[in-house]
Amino acid sequence: MNAIVRARDLAVDYTMPGGVVRALDGASFELLPGRSLGLVGESGSGKSTLGLAIGRLLPANVRHAAGDLEVDGRSVFALDDEGIRALRRTSLGFVFQSPMAALDPTMRIGRQITLACGGQPDVGRVPELLQQVGLPKGAARAWPHELSGGMAQRAVIAMAIARRPRLLVADEPTAALDTSLRAQILDLLVALKNETGSALVLLSHELPVVARVCEIIGVMYGGRVVELGDSAGVFSRPLHPYSRALLATAHDGARPGERLAPIPGMPPVLSGPASGCSFAPRCAFADERCRSERPPLRPIGGRLAACHHADGTAPERGSGMSSGM
Amino acid sequence: MRLLLHIAARMGMALLTMLSVSLIVFVAMRMLPGGFEMIILGPIQTEEARAVITEQFGLDRSLPEQFLSWLVAVLHGDFGISMITRIPIADEILRRLGATVQLTAMAVITALCVGLPLGVAAGLADSSTSVRTCGRLVGALGASTPDFVLGVALVYIFSVWSLGLTVGGYVPFFEDPLANLRAMILPASTLSVFGIALILRTTRESVLTVMTEGYITGAVARGDDPASIVRRHVLRNASLPVMTVATIYLSLLLGGAVIVEILFTVPGVGLYTWNALLNRDYGVTQSAVLLFSGVIVTCNMLVDIAYALVDPRIRGRRQQ
Ligand SMILES: Nc1ncnc2c1ncn2[C@@H]1O[C@H](COP(=O)(O)OP(=O)(O)OP(=O)(O)O)[C@@H](O)[C@H]1O
Ligand SMILES: [Mg+2]
Repeated sequence: MNAIVRARDLAVDYTMPGGVVRALDGASFELLPGRSLGLVGESGSGKSTLGLAIGRLLPANVRHAAGDLEVDGRSVFALDDEGIRALRRTSLGFVFQSPMAALDPTMRIGRQITLACGGQPDVGRVPELLQQVGLPKGAARAWPHELSGGMAQRAVIAMAIARRPRLLVADEPTAALDTSLRAQILDLLVALKNETGSALVLLSHELPVVARVCEIIGVMYGGRVVELGDSAGVFSRPLHPYSRALLATAHDGARPGERLAPIPGMPPVLSGPASGCSFAPRCAFADERCRSERPPLRPIGGRLAACHHADGTAPERGSGMSSGM
Repeated sequence: MRLLLHIAARMGMALLTMLSVSLIVFVAMRMLPGGFEMIILGPIQTEEARAVITEQFGLDRSLPEQFLSWLVAVLHGDFGISMITRIPIADEILRRLGATVQLTAMAVITALCVGLPLGVAAGLADSSTSVRTCGRLVGALGASTPDFVLGVALVYIFSVWSLGLTVGGYVPFFEDPLANLRAMILPASTLSVFGIALILRTTRESVLTVMTEGYITGAVARGDDPASIVRRHVLRNASLPVMTVATIYLSLLLGGAVIVEILFTVPGVGLYTWNALLNRDYGVTQSAVLLFSGVIVTCNMLVDIAYALVDPRIRGRRQQ
């Protein structure tokens, strides 16, 4: 089966008056149709940039520096403007962070969903979509400001799936919502994915959340995917030292009343390709090779990881960090 | 019901505004050096002659008395007579209203027809293109050139090279449309320059702001084509600030009309008011100011209603 989305060594720069920021530094991953992938990483690791790149939605100050990204076998960077619009219409659906901002305040929900369907949907399509996302029929008559955040995000999801996309991209779809609603919205996304057979890319910085709802996890660091594999495996036995550290902070955060133990050091802000492993400055196992030679994303134990030491040279399980999982 | 209450409150406020404006103008005019009787009689005058005139027009009464009797008459629909021509003021103003309405209408329509499309184009253009630079230049120049400077320049230029246009020589539109337009194009253009600049700038800023909104990104992400995004989402959402500014422009326009009518000798309400002011024809000035403030207040109310029609959030808030 051909991948629905595949990135190969994708490098993307933001050019700004002060200089260049390399947001993606050779990111690679692929996802088969109908599967769900959760991309996790700290703030600034390039998740949103990668998500936007899938629809070539990057802002005007972005330069596509190297590599490629294909949706349904077509390189998004090679398509002309009408081509990419057609791809967005037929194959892609996006859900962004802030549902209120994503709705036109001067238009009723029903009208916006109608437009998202392509303007002239079959009779009954709008109520069907509302029902699919768990909104009452009456929501069609509502104005965006009359909806709660959770309802608004459901409306946005209805718009995203209106044309039955083959790939749904959701960038922190619950970050702007009450904690109590988050699980509901994520479960809705997964349910819709299963129901419609579309693939799902979920971007988040919460590893446990992603591990719960997605089949595959991609861990991002410094604009690269540093580990990619099935959820249960990555979550219980992370290979990359960064994945292990991320998991450890997640466990610490889960204990109520206790302070989060952040990973020491700061995530990098690159201005060009990193010369070695960009996690090396924060890594307990880093040596000279890590600093000078870029670790490729290579198969290790049924999974992919970009670490020189991940094949057993380093302790495979970080001192009890993943215990209990 | 709530909506009606709101409208009633707005109208109350509007009437109060008009009343205060009338009072301020009344006081201001009486504070000008030289009253009506001094001006009408010229340099050679006697105490007796002055007394006759002040008595005839009731100018010898106390100021509050004068204001109240004017107000009561106006509330009964009686605007009094011009002290100079002895013709009912309402007739005098009505006769001149056509020219002023035509002048301001031409200016507003020109400003909207030029400013809106240019503003939208400048707002949508990439930041590097010449469209945006051009828009910024026109906006800055137009907004900073005072009407009278531009007017004087135009009067000078076109009195030297006429190009078929005339300075002065106004004829009512229905008598000779062509001659009318020849006389009106220059004053109307003078008035519209500021409006073009104002509306262009506001539209551009407003469009730029809307383009960064999440729902625009959303529409782009759904693969909508740019033209329909502009039509469905941008214009509607960007229209609110433009409407506000258009009303502000209209208020300024009435002041501008006075200056431009003087410069180009267009026999409209503005020129009439100016002459009445010079002659201390109190009733005329009072009535004209009342008319102007009435127009402004009405425009503000209309914009308020238009706002509510475009933006459901305002409607919601109002009905609570
Ligand atoms: N519009 C932009 N202009 C300039 N730099 C940007 C822009 N957007 C992102 N960046 C930079 O690119 C890098 C990657 O950002 P990105 O938003 O993709 O990360 P992220 O993983 O989504 O982070 P977050 O969790 O905060 O959303 C960061 O260093 C960020 O500062
Ligand atoms: Mg992000």
